[in-house]
Amino acid sequence: MSSTNPEEAVVIDSVRKRYGSIQAVDGISLTIHRGEFFGLLGPNGAGKTTLIEIIEGQRKADSGTVSVLGFRPGPRNADLLPRLGVQTQASAFFVRLTAREHLETVAALYRAGREAAQRALALVGLTEQADIRVEDLSGGQRQRLAIAAALVHDPELIFLDEPTAALDPQARRSLWQVLRDLKGAGRTIVYTTHHLDEAEALCDRVAIVMNGQIRALGSPARLVAEATATTQLLVPAGRLTAEAARAIPGVLKVTEEADAIVLETSDSGPVLAAIDQIAGLHGVRTRTASLEDVYLDLTNTR
Amino acid sequence: MSAYTALSRAGYYAYVRDKTTLFFTFAFPLLFLVVFGLIFSGKSVQQSGKPYIDYIAPGVLSWGVANAAVFGVGFVLMQWRRDDLLRLIRMTPAPLTSVLGSRYVLALAIGVVQSALFVGIALLPFFGLTLASTWPLALAVLVLGVTAFLMVGVIVGSFARTPEAVAAIANCLMIPMAFLSGSFFPLDAMPAWMQSLAHALPLYYFNDGVSAALTGSGSGADILVDCGVLAAFAVVFGAIALKTFRWSDKS
Repeated sequence: MSSTNPEEAVVIDSVRKRYGSIQAVDGISLTIHRGEFFGLLGPNGAGKTTLIEIIEGQRKADSGTVSVLGFRPGPRNADLLPRLGVQTQASAFFVRLTAREHLETVAALYRAGREAAQRALALVGLTEQADIRVEDLSGGQRQRLAIAAALVHDPELIFLDEPTAALDPQARRSLWQVLRDLKGAGRTIVYTTHHLDEAEALCDRVAIVMNGQIRALGSPARLVAEATATTQLLVPAGRLTAEAARAIPGVLKVTEEADAIVLETSDSGPVLAAIDQIAGLHGVRTRTASLEDVYLDLTNTR
Repeated sequence: MSAYTALSRAGYYAYVRDKTTLFFTFAFPLLFLVVFGLIFSGKSVQQSGKPYIDYIAPGVLSWGVANAAVFGVGFVLMQWRRDDLLRLIRMTPAPLTSVLGSRYVLALAIGVVQSALFVGIALLPFFGLTLASTWPLALAVLVLGVTAFLMVGVIVGSFARTPEAVAAIANCLMIPMAFLSGSFFPLDAMPAWMQSLAHALPLYYFNDGVSAALTGSGSGADILVDCGVLAAFAVVFGAIALKTFRWSDKS
């Protein structure tokens, strides 16, 4: 195989894929490192799923090259498949089996034993639901079972497609811990999500995909820093007039919101000191841009 | 557990835990037997002078087994594809032979159990079936018949995207075929054109072979011909099944 740099989990170069008149993937090049937690973000139809399916080997790219753990991916690549974990839809269950029986079956397909199924159940917190039929699980439990099925054979490279979509806040946080533990154990995780707060909290790097191309690539902190250099200071309404706020040196812009007056600045220290003198700092909040602002900015079809 | 064992176990549980399918697989053909048994009790077919049960039992049996093979694999394939389970299986290193083998053995086992139960009941004095000495040959016919109709089920399951579509397509195929192949009424009583049409249908040979083996209505050579034709149908349907198979509903 071409590139066998042990540091690289996924290397894709100039990948293109067209469906009829739609260019789903339009020349994407990307390297994902081993042990990295990588997020693919983008609106529905941006090409994320197609890209992931090409990396997994379920679809063939029209052009470009893909290398996964040093192999060319493909559905019958028996050397590669046991090292990949792929989350399917939360409906991909063997009917009328219990959660445990389903996982034991999936484990056997990967030549892993029953104890692997038990471990995967515990990992996603479904031990107590082990003997419940898959049809009788709640939406969140089904989601976790689908994730357990992707982890049952202890894969090195894990693909998760919106793993937290159907989960309540508690289940979402406990899954975050599962994902962090996997990363801690040296696994590489590639995942898609629409929860940008989650991507910011979990991912080492994210790629924002639009119209089949990568619009931004980097650590969430770097993307945020590059996109917006300003900080917003929110002073509770009534404590500071707009005129007074504009008069403070370093304030770039002043806007009024329902319960606060918002000062935008690129150097918040001196401005905060000035506010302290005029109105006091009690109740003053700072607001920095988040990944969500960057995302909306990039994906907005203005 | 090997992939083969695990898939067979999963298929077995899915089967025995589904009471509706169990009923239609095992009780439905018996229901036909009872109804026809009541209608034709004690009567013989004019043309041959043989008791009706000798026609009806092999006919209903082969139809019931063929039906179960088509429906069983058709539903499973459609559902596995719709629910993304095919994708899951495809992304594992499990050999395709394990996947196909487990479904095949399961279908054969269902066919054998169906037949044993059915023949056992038909042998009761009320129905009055008597077995010819050639009855073990029915097993060979059974295996080839299940194989041929299993392939039909794969084709149906590849075309259909919903359970309703599987039922509609399979019924459209299997019910007319049952009548045209003489499963429910002796073909001797049918018009000549219908008798020649029957020779183009796989169920006719399944029926004919089972009948020859169980009741001695035909010779060993007849059974051999029936087996040969069923094997040929299996190969043709198998080739079509391979051509039409899809891993995913997405284009």
